[in-house]
Amino acid sequence: MESTLSIQNLVIKFKLRGQTLTAIRDISLDLYKGESLAIVGESGSGKSVLVKSIMGLLDKNGYIDSGKILYNGHDLAKFKTEKDWLKIRGKQIAMVTQDPMTSLNPLKTVGKQIEESVVLHQNLKGKEAYEKTLQLLRDVGIHEVERRYKQYPHEFSGGMRQRIVIAIAVACNPDVLICDEPTTALDVTIQAQILQLLTNLQQKYGLSTIYITHDLGVVAKVADRIAVMYAGDIIEVGKTDEVFFNAKHPYTWALISSLPQLGEKGEELYSIKGTPPNLFKEIKGDAFAPRNQYALKIDFVERPPFFKVSDTHFARTWLLDLKAPKVEPPKVLQAFFEEGRRYANE
Amino acid sequence: MLKYIGKRLVQSIFTLFVIITIVFSLLRLMPEEGYLGAAAEKMTEAQQEIYLTNLGLRDPLIVQLGNFYQGLFQGDLGKSITYRTDVPVVDIIQDKMMYSILFGLGAVALSLLVGVPLGILMAQFKGRWLDRLGTGYIVFVVAVPAMVYFLMIQMYVTGWFGWPMLFDEYNPISFILPLISMALGPIASYAMWMRRYMVDELNKDYIKLARAKGVKERTIMFRHVLRNAFIPMAQYLPATILFTITGSIYIESLYSIPGMGGLLVDAIQRQDNQVVQGLVIFFSSLGIIGLILGDLLMAIVDPRIKLGKGDSVR
Ligand SMILES: Nc1ncnc2c1ncn2[C@@H]1O[C@H](COP(=O)(O)OP(=O)(O)O)[C@@H](O)[C@H]1O
Ligand SMILES: [Mg+2]
Repeated sequence: MESTLSIQNLVIKFKLRGQTLTAIRDISLDLYKGESLAIVGESGSGKSVLVKSIMGLLDKNGYIDSGKILYNGHDLAKFKTEKDWLKIRGKQIAMVTQDPMTSLNPLKTVGKQIEESVVLHQNLKGKEAYEKTLQLLRDVGIHEVERRYKQYPHEFSGGMRQRIVIAIAVACNPDVLICDEPTTALDVTIQAQILQLLTNLQQKYGLSTIYITHDLGVVAKVADRIAVMYAGDIIEVGKTDEVFFNAKHPYTWALISSLPQLGEKGEELYSIKGTPPNLFKEIKGDAFAPRNQYALKIDFVERPPFFKVSDTHFARTWLLDLKAPKVEPPKVLQAFFEEGRRYANE
Repeated sequence: MLKYIGKRLVQSIFTLFVIITIVFSLLRLMPEEGYLGAAAEKMTEAQQEIYLTNLGLRDPLIVQLGNFYQGLFQGDLGKSITYRTDVPVVDIIQDKMMYSILFGLGAVALSLLVGVPLGILMAQFKGRWLDRLGTGYIVFVVAVPAMVYFLMIQMYVTGWFGWPMLFDEYNPISFILPLISMALGPIASYAMWMRRYMVDELNKDYIKLARAKGVKERTIMFRHVLRNAFIPMAQYLPATILFTITGSIYIESLYSIPGMGGLLVDAIQRQDNQVVQGLVIFFSSLGIIGLILGDLLMAIVDPRIKLGKGDSVR
C-alpha cells in the first residue's frame, strides 16, 4: 500500500526549566492513502504531541530532536519557517481539535470562520465562497444554513460546534485529516453521530485520517488500523481486528481488559495498576515493564524490537521472542478473542 | 439590544438617584458654618438662625431634598458660598471643565494612540527586546512617583526647547508638555492591559485552530486576537477616559492650568458645601455615564451580549 505520510524514527523533546523531557521516543509509523488510522493510548502518552509535530504546531519549548516526517517528497521535520508550514497547514493536512466549546472564535460568525478556510485554500471569493460555505454547512449536517451562517458559536450546542470545527477542516480541502480526540468532550449520544459524520466525510472526500483517542471503544467503529501508544512509543500496530482480537503486547491486553464491555456486571472495571514512567528520565527496555505482570528480565534491559505477527501486525514485546516462555493472555481476554475471531470469520 | 440598553439606562438613573440622595444627606451633616461663609463671625446666633432658615436649611430633610431635586432638574446646583461668593455652582464647574476636557481628551487620545499599539507590539514580540523595553517603561511609570518625572519634564524639557514653563491659553506650544505628562501613566496602563489580554487570547484553543487551518500569524493577530483582546478593555475604557478628563491635580497646578483638578480640594478646604455637593454629583454622574458607555461598547463588540440573556458576560 502507498503511504501518504511516513514518520521515521521520530524523537521529540521538550525543554522545561532546564530539564529535558522526551515525549516521543523513536516512533516510526505510516499513514496509508485513504485509510483511517487510530492512535490509542492513555492520556499523556504523547498522541497530541505526535500529531502537532506533523503540522508544525509544537509548543515553543518543544523540538524535533531527530527523525523524519516524510510527506509528498518533503521532510516536514526540517521545516523551520512559517512560510514552509503554510504550504502544509490546512491545504494538505487539516485538524479537528478536541474541545468544540473553546475551538471557535467567539466574536466571529461560524459562517465567516468556515469561509476563512474556503478563501484560503479553495481559491474562491465573494459569492462563490459564500455558496461553498453553505454547501459545507449542509455537508456536516446543519439545517437552515443561511440563518446558521450568520450565527455566533455561542448560539450552537457542543455537538453542533464540533460539526462547525469539522466543516472548517474539510473546507481546507486537505489530503490528510487529523482528529485529536474529536468526541472526548461530547455527550455519549452525540459522539456516535460525530463519528458517523467523520466516516462519511472521509469517504466522500477520500481523506486519509488519523484518529486520536484514549477510548478503544471509539476506535472499533472508525479505524482500519490501530497503533497503540505508550510513553511516547508505539508498542503495537495492526489492522483493527488484529489488534482487538489477537493483541500481543501486555499493555494492549490491559487496554482491552479495561473496556466496559468486558467488565462483569456489578464489578469494578479493570484498571491498569501503577503509573506511566517519568519522561524526564531515560527509559531502559520496555517502558511498560514496571507495570507488567508478564515482564521478563530482558524487558528491563533492552528495548524490544517490532516482532512481526502478520504482514500487517507488529508488536514490541519480548514475549514474541522465540526464546521467551509461552505466556497466555488473561482468561477474560481469551474468551473475548475467541468470540471476536469467530465473528470475524463469519 | 435596544431592550438591553433601555434596561441599563433605567438601572443607571436609579443608581444616580441613590447616589445623589446619599451625597445630599451626608452634606447636611457637615458643619453649618459652610453655609454662612465669611459673614459667620459678623452675625449673632439669632441672625445666623434666620439666615439658615431663609436658605431652607431648617425645613424637614424630605422637603429640602424635594427643593434640591427641583433645582437640579432646572440645571441649578445652588450658589457658591465662599469659593466665589454667589456665583452659580454650575457656572464655576463649566468654566473649569473646558480646560480639563481639552487636556483630558487630548491625553486620552494620545495614550490610546501610543499605548494600544505598544501593547499589541509587545504581545507580538513577547520576550524580545521590544517587549522588554515596553515592560521597562511600564515598571518605571508605576514605580517612580509621578511627581518626580512630571517635575523633570517641566524643568528640563522646557529648558532644552526654550518652551514656556507655564500654560498659556494663547500659545499652542504650552499645551504639549502637560499633555505628554498626563499621557505617560495611561500609556503604560493601556500598553500593559493590551499586552496581557493579547497574550491571554493567543494561548486560547481557537487561535490554535486558526493556525492549524493555515492562517498566517499576522492575520491571526489582527483578524482574531485583537478584537477578543479588546473586549475586556472596552468595558473599562470609558470610565478611565472620564477619570482622566476630570483632571490631574498635579499637572494642573504645576503648569497653572485653570482646570477642575484642584477645585474639589479648594472647595473642601473653604468649606463651600454647595460647590462640594455640586462637584460630587458631577463626578458621580460622569462615572456612571462612563460605566454605561462601557457596557454599550461591550455590547457592540461582543455578540454574546445581544441576546439579552445575561446582562454581563462576566
Ligand atoms: N509544552 C510542553 N512542555 C513540556 N512537556 C510537554 C509539553 N507538551 C506536552 N508535554 C508532555 O508530553 C507528554 C505527551 O503529551 P500529549 O501529547 O499532550 O499527551 P496525550 O497523549 O494525552 O495527547 C506529556 O507527558 C506532556 O506532559
Ligand atoms: Mg491529547
